[in-house]
Amino acid sequence: MLKEKTVKNIKSGVAAFCNALIPVLLAFVGGALIIAAARENPFSVYATMLGRALFTPDGFMRVLHVAAPLILTGLAIGVTFKANVFNMGVEGQMLLGGFVAGIIGASMRGVPAAVHIPLCLTAAVFSGALFALVPALLKAYFKVNEMVVTLMLNYAAVEILAFLAEGVFRDPSAGYVSTDMIAGSAAFGRLFGTNLTAFFLIALAAFAVMAVVFKKSRLGYEITAIGKNPEFAEAAGMNVRKKIIAVMLLSGALAGLAGAGWMLGEKYRYTLDFSGSPGLGWDGMLVSLLGSHSVFGILIAAVFYGALKVGVSQAALFTKIPNEIIFVIQALIILFLSVSYLSKNVKFREGAGRIFGKIKGIFKRKKGERTDEQHTL
Amino acid sequence: MTAIETRKLTKKFGDFTANNEIDIRVERGEIKAVVGENGAGKSTLMNMLYGLLQPSSGEILVDGEPVRFASPSDAIKRGIGMVHQHFKLSPNLTVFENVVLGSEIRRAFAPLKPLCLLPFVRKRPALNDKFAARRLPLPLIDAAAQKAAVERTIQKYNLGLDAAALVKNLSIGEKQRVEILKMLYRDVQILILDEPTGVLTPREADELISSLKELRRGGKTVIVITHKLREVMDASDSVTVIRGGAVVGEAKTFDTDEKKLARMMVGRDIERPKTGGAPVAGGVVYEVKNLSVVAPDGRKAVDGVSFNIRAGEILGVAGVEGNGQSELVKALTGLMTVAGGTVLKGGADITDAWPKAVRENKIAVIPEDRYGQGLCRDMTVAQNAIAGYHRDRQISRFGLLSKKAVIRRRDGLVKNFDVRLCDPDGDVSQLSGGNAQKLIVARELSSNPDVLIASQPTRGVDVGSIEFIHKKLLELKDAGKAVLLVSSELSEIMNLSDRVIVMYKGAVVGEAPRGADGETLGLMMAGVMPGGG
Repeated sequence: MLKEKTVKNIKSGVAAFCNALIPVLLAFVGGALIIAAARENPFSVYATMLGRALFTPDGFMRVLHVAAPLILTGLAIGVTFKANVFNMGVEGQMLLGGFVAGIIGASMRGVPAAVHIPLCLTAAVFSGALFALVPALLKAYFKVNEMVVTLMLNYAAVEILAFLAEGVFRDPSAGYVSTDMIAGSAAFGRLFGTNLTAFFLIALAAFAVMAVVFKKSRLGYEITAIGKNPEFAEAAGMNVRKKIIAVMLLSGALAGLAGAGWMLGEKYRYTLDFSGSPGLGWDGMLVSLLGSHSVFGILIAAVFYGALKVGVSQAALFTKIPNEIIFVIQALIILFLSVSYLSKNVKFREGAGRIFGKIKGIFKRKKGERTDEQHTL
Repeated sequence: MTAIETRKLTKKFGDFTANNEIDIRVERGEIKAVVGENGAGKSTLMNMLYGLLQPSSGEILVDGEPVRFASPSDAIKRGIGMVHQHFKLSPNLTVFENVVLGSEIRRAFAPLKPLCLLPFVRKRPALNDKFAARRLPLPLIDAAAQKAAVERTIQKYNLGLDAAALVKNLSIGEKQRVEILKMLYRDVQILILDEPTGVLTPREADELISSLKELRRGGKTVIVITHKLREVMDASDSVTVIRGGAVVGEAKTFDTDEKKLARMMVGRDIERPKTGGAPVAGGVVYEVKNLSVVAPDGRKAVDGVSFNIRAGEILGVAGVEGNGQSELVKALTGLMTVAGGTVLKGGADITDAWPKAVRENKIAVIPEDRYGQGLCRDMTVAQNAIAGYHRDRQISRFGLLSKKAVIRRRDGLVKNFDVRLCDPDGDVSQLSGGNAQKLIVARELSSNPDVLIASQPTRGVDVGSIEFIHKKLLELKDAGKAVLLVSSELSEIMNLSDRVIVMYKGAVVGEAPRGADGETLGLMMAGVMPGGG
């Protein structure tokens, strides 16, 4: 009995892994074509990327450091997907968290680090959550589509923060738009002389908490029920409205924390390219998708994506490949991810046959010929 | 003449044998009923005949020829069509658009037709016809031709549908006829219907049966999967009984009766539920006064309903479906807002209580919509087994669920209520209708409620499970609890209830004591007041 169960678990795990791996591989193939078009050898470029990112201690620590905010933004999005609400505003909430942490970090001097850092983090968490509260209330009480509101609020956040950074909070001594540098007492120190900071540990802790919430807690149970069948959840006495607000707050808080950590551990000041391009919040969406919205999947996907980011920046140093190649690969991953290659319980040969059949079907589908899918629809 | 036949047809899912060497023969032009409990393997068998599943071994013969179906379209080509229990229709399309979907009729034009005007061509009929018949199909749909073709089929089989009506505006019975029409339009000779009456009102079911007889007159062969024995007796020519994936009996319908069939299906005699012990004289536990509910469309769905239930009493609510029973139950269980009136439990006012508060007041609920409110298909049996009771102290402490306690709860429910699972860790979607319903009943009754609100507790459930659920309801009554039983199945109401109220257009139009005859209740259900002119 137990053995059978383990086998089944492993099988479904492997299927989930393959579903994430196949699009990644296909994206790499697509990327290779572009690299080849730039007259570089894709194999040596990929070797440099992976080698520098994963197989040097320095590189790997850097990967983990870069992965930390991705874990948090990935979780922020994964949480809402579980409840079948969609917080597309993680980027904005993250920026706000980062900005608030930066201002508090810069404006207080002579405070011990043990007070200063937690203060920055807490303020960021609250501001992220508060910002997410707007779409949450609109959704819960007025049935306003949260996807639209959160998406649009991103632009509001970007522009308002740009305005503040250019005006009130601008560091006049900087040659570009930037807030004041945060105080030393607010910055995360490097751990043991590596690239790693305490931020990674905080992200891991947040991951652990979320894992418990989803695997063991009543809240996780209720969120899952709401996500799968809200009518059922309500009939079973769960307050769907309250839980949706809670999920959005949690998501905003995680996003705020991601921004604060990135500020205190990497950027130290708010600039207009604080979250990079396409932005940590958007990266989080890919991470969550790649990890099929499961907590452990998100952790693995975040580290993978961190490696990709670090690898590309390394490759840009050693080859003629521009940084932008990462966008190509990211876009291709998202494109290929939208296909589900293996279902959870399917046997492998069947699965492989099905993929082959799908590909064949694309070429073979004659006009006028009725396919089963159309029929069973 | 045999229309379809199977020889030693076997289907295995892993180690589980769903169908074991099934031999079944269906004669051309008969109505064959395939009966069996839920999970007996009827649907698996039919899905193999329709090409949705492929047999592990054995063969299928159509008109004496062995066939292999890779997909339903293969089956349709061989003249076999199936109507599923859950309809597969597009609500925003018209009837004829739904019917032709996938085999649309295209506009065509005859490029050579102008040549027919030439006197030279006109003199030669052969050439004339040839030019007129040379048609090029265009990538445009010929809606008028489609509508006409579908209308012809409707008329031919006397289905009484409007080809131009939007499917979303049709009643459930009409939607089902559209599904049948879809198959007839494709000129199938053998029609398989999976639990066709499960979703129909008794009247619609009768209409369906007469349509099926009409089809038989037209020379079609019909296979009906069902577990409603009354319909088997009414409609079919022969019956095959399946139990545990094997054929356990076959008979001509006129040679058998409901009792014999029930025994074959379950493997033992079915006890009729005893109509309770002595009438009770407990105090009033649950009371509804002048309750009104307004539906989202502004209609007064429940209009001044009052009743009370005493301890140790089952109050039946009879009525044709759609007369406010659903809204009444939703309002009582916290899923709809009360527009007026009060609800009292043990004297305390619980009007408009949230679902959570309803349960905290020791009121258990068996909802009408099994997979909507009762269960979540995509969650595990264990997760469903605690739904609504996941805040119990045994289950969760400090916001954390105890996995052990959850599993223990599941195992207890499964054992005490005889819920049959293939995979204890699997999702609820694996359960047959009867077992899913037993899981709900198990969950709700195990909470030791004072009041049970049961809405359509045995709809679409097999005979064995109906017997079981009825027994449990009577046990609850004997334990001195109050039960509100809402059902559109009149025999269920009459067998179990101590008192019956009848709802018509949202209001209670009559009350009858135990033992009232079905005719009186039937008249009240149709809105005819007893004794009134």
